[in-house]
Amino acid sequence: MGLRWFHFAAWGLFALGLALLPELVSKGTLRTLIFANYLAIFAISWDLLSGRTGYISFGHPFLIGIGAYTSAILTKRFGVEVEIAIPIAVIVTMIAGLIVLLPALRIRGSYFALVTLAFMELMYQLVQVIRPDLTGGTRGMSGIQTLTRGAVNGFYLSSVLMFVIAVAAWLLLRTRIGTALTALGLNESAVEGSGLSTTKLKMFAFMASAFVAGLGGAFYVHYLGSIAPRALFDINFVFTIIVAVLIGGASTIVGPIIGAFFLTFLLEYLRPFLPGAERYFIYGGIALLLYMYQPKGIYAMVMKAWHSLHERATK
Amino acid sequence: MLQILIQGMLLSGLYALIAVGFTLIFSVGRTLNLAYGAYLMLGGYLYFWASQSLGVPKSLAVLMAMAFGVVLGILKFRLIVKPLKGDHIAVEISTLILAVVLQAGVILIFGDSSKILLPIVGGVIYVAGAPVTYNMLIATLASWTILLSLYLFIRRTDIGRAMQAVSMDTKGAAICGIEPDRVNLITWALSGGLGALGGVFFASYTQLAPSMWVGPLIISVAVVIVGGIGSIIGTLIVAHIVGFMEVIVVSVLAPELRGVFTMGLIILVLVLRPQGLFGREEL
Amino acid sequence: MTHALEIRNLVKTFGGLVATDDLSFDIKTGQSVGLIGPNGAGKTTVFSQIMGELRQTSGKISLFGKTLGTRPTAERIRRGVSRTYQIPRPFLELSVLENIRVGFMPNSIWSMITKGPDKDREIQLALDVGFSQNDFEKPASDLSMGDLRKLELARTIATGAKVLLLDEVFAGLTTGEISQISGLIQDLRAKGFTMLMVSHDLPALEPLVDHVIAIERGRMIATGTFNEVINDETVRASYLGEV
Repeated sequence: MGLRWFHFAAWGLFALGLALLPELVSKGTLRTLIFANYLAIFAISWDLLSGRTGYISFGHPFLIGIGAYTSAILTKRFGVEVEIAIPIAVIVTMIAGLIVLLPALRIRGSYFALVTLAFMELMYQLVQVIRPDLTGGTRGMSGIQTLTRGAVNGFYLSSVLMFVIAVAAWLLLRTRIGTALTALGLNESAVEGSGLSTTKLKMFAFMASAFVAGLGGAFYVHYLGSIAPRALFDINFVFTIIVAVLIGGASTIVGPIIGAFFLTFLLEYLRPFLPGAERYFIYGGIALLLYMYQPKGIYAMVMKAWHSLHERATK
Repeated sequence: MLQILIQGMLLSGLYALIAVGFTLIFSVGRTLNLAYGAYLMLGGYLYFWASQSLGVPKSLAVLMAMAFGVVLGILKFRLIVKPLKGDHIAVEISTLILAVVLQAGVILIFGDSSKILLPIVGGVIYVAGAPVTYNMLIATLASWTILLSLYLFIRRTDIGRAMQAVSMDTKGAAICGIEPDRVNLITWALSGGLGALGGVFFASYTQLAPSMWVGPLIISVAVVIVGGIGSIIGTLIVAHIVGFMEVIVVSVLAPELRGVFTMGLIILVLVLRPQGLFGREEL
Repeated sequence: MTHALEIRNLVKTFGGLVATDDLSFDIKTGQSVGLIGPNGAGKTTVFSQIMGELRQTSGKISLFGKTLGTRPTAERIRRGVSRTYQIPRPFLELSVLENIRVGFMPNSIWSMITKGPDKDREIQLALDVGFSQNDFEKPASDLSMGDLRKLELARTIATGAKVLLLDEVFAGLTTGEISQISGLIQDLRAKGFTMLMVSHDLPALEPLVDHVIAIERGRMIATGTFNEVINDETVRASYLGEV
């Protein structure tokens, strides 16, 4: 995998930073950071599906929502233990991932993106109508069992989860499967022409993404303690996930994490100056400019700086 | 039964009007303009601001909204679509971001709460016991008129033919001396104006809200995808399928399910027949 | 002895147009065969049918004695037949070595994840097709046409296929590049690869083939040694007369 000392150092520093944060910042900021962690998980999930393969998902909350709803319904309505509900939720989300995979076997590009958008909107409407006794209908559910009490514990749980997912996904994409998925995004017929089954590769990317989405969604709902369809199956949520990935740098896994933290901090620090929708206006604007002029994101800028520094040091 | 028929006709007319601007861009530029819904939203709001705050006469306010839509279309083409040089996915992602930015902008100016738009033309007539607002009637008539004139515009005028040529083969058209950029610009302007007009009617049919762009966008997508790229006739037919099904679902099943059929249709058609029900005509 | 490739009564029609017209031929294992014909004769269409990119209207294609039926392209490659394209299809943002890596990959996700790339084999193949050390990390988007053809050849060989279909490998190349690729094909022949080559560059083709098949409008018009075929009356009339 070509691991070098600075890879270990960077991940180690990141882990250390996460571990020390509760000592350094206020409880309020910590709660914001919990959101950053979950956003990072969702962004990694999106990146696994769309970052390399070129199959852009505009309906990622479809997967996240299935994970969240499954675990919420199992624990609240059927009294299932959380330890069992979450794995079941992950499996159900992966099955849902197969549903998203089906159109990807026939259509690409814009068409695929639209189908995923339609999946999300369909889910939004169905959740409210079908078995509202289970899903809570339009108002959603509250009083869902939470896993942690207090900001510090919530932060540690979400950090460990995010860190493990991030390292696993990052390592995964450094293997040959990462190269194969990039190749898939660049030229699908040439992948087929190299003797590889594109269906298998797509299935892998979609399953990995659904796994992370399901895990993230389930833990998220057990952190929030409540769930509502409009907050979840929302185009603004899609927007936040995609923007986090793009600002950070797609297909890098590290990028989406940077993006998620950057976005959350931007939101947090803009709050005193810009209390309402202005924040979306500004960060949307930043995202748009950045995407137009630096489509590879912050990660690419950092790497460029690092390489030029490295060169100067070795010369 | 008659009521379903009338309401279906009216709603379908409105949907056709909404979708046609979207179809235009998709067939000429092969790009999905996900910020299309934002034209509708902004058109609606501009009309609201002009007629209900400034007291501009309604017909003038409609024209202002359309002009605003045209300007928006031109700006979007110049600032976003052209610099991205035909990278469809990039255009789609950036138009999606733009839509959310515009939504935030509208909240900034007009606030989060929804607004009731006074009907453009007041009054109601009863047809077979079913109330029909003049407003919807005008929207439907306008929609038919616009679709017909657009059809003639594309078939009969030089610019229309140039648009057809670009939609069939951009490079080929360029070789024949047509400037695809200019044609695209005109298309984006036209689409912006039509979108804003559709927005005024749509807003007076439902209400004015910062999140109102998502619904019409999905309807437009459904119409374009199901109708097949660039077919104006297909647009018209599918707008009626979608409109009627919605009216039927709402009155027979449940109002909450109003969009389910539309989504299901998009998914089914894209997966089973990606070229659309009416094939891929070129405009 | 089984043939590497057996084509029996192959027919492909597009609406009213007959692209392949009752074509039958065999290629023995280790043999190198040229497929020639005027533009639009249906040479590439034959390749596409062998690879399963186009489904034949009727007829049978067998590889090492086993019929290919309706198997997908990737599976045909794993069974031992692979092709290059007239317009190369590289992974533009991947480096030369990474492009070759994709060719070497097994079709098992598990082994893609658990086993690292075999760098030595990748480098050896890259050197074999004529890349130099400096080219290894270059993205394919920076390569010349000649290098792209080498890269595609390398990826095709990397799949492990023993039957190679080479489509216009000399098109768009400089004389230096032609002799380089020609040398490479001679090496492949010596190693026992079976080859079917389409080329308009007859002088370049001549030393590389044991045997030539000429087709016109999808139908075989002559077969035999290089000299027999190009001196054939029908071939001269339809093909060489045109050039």
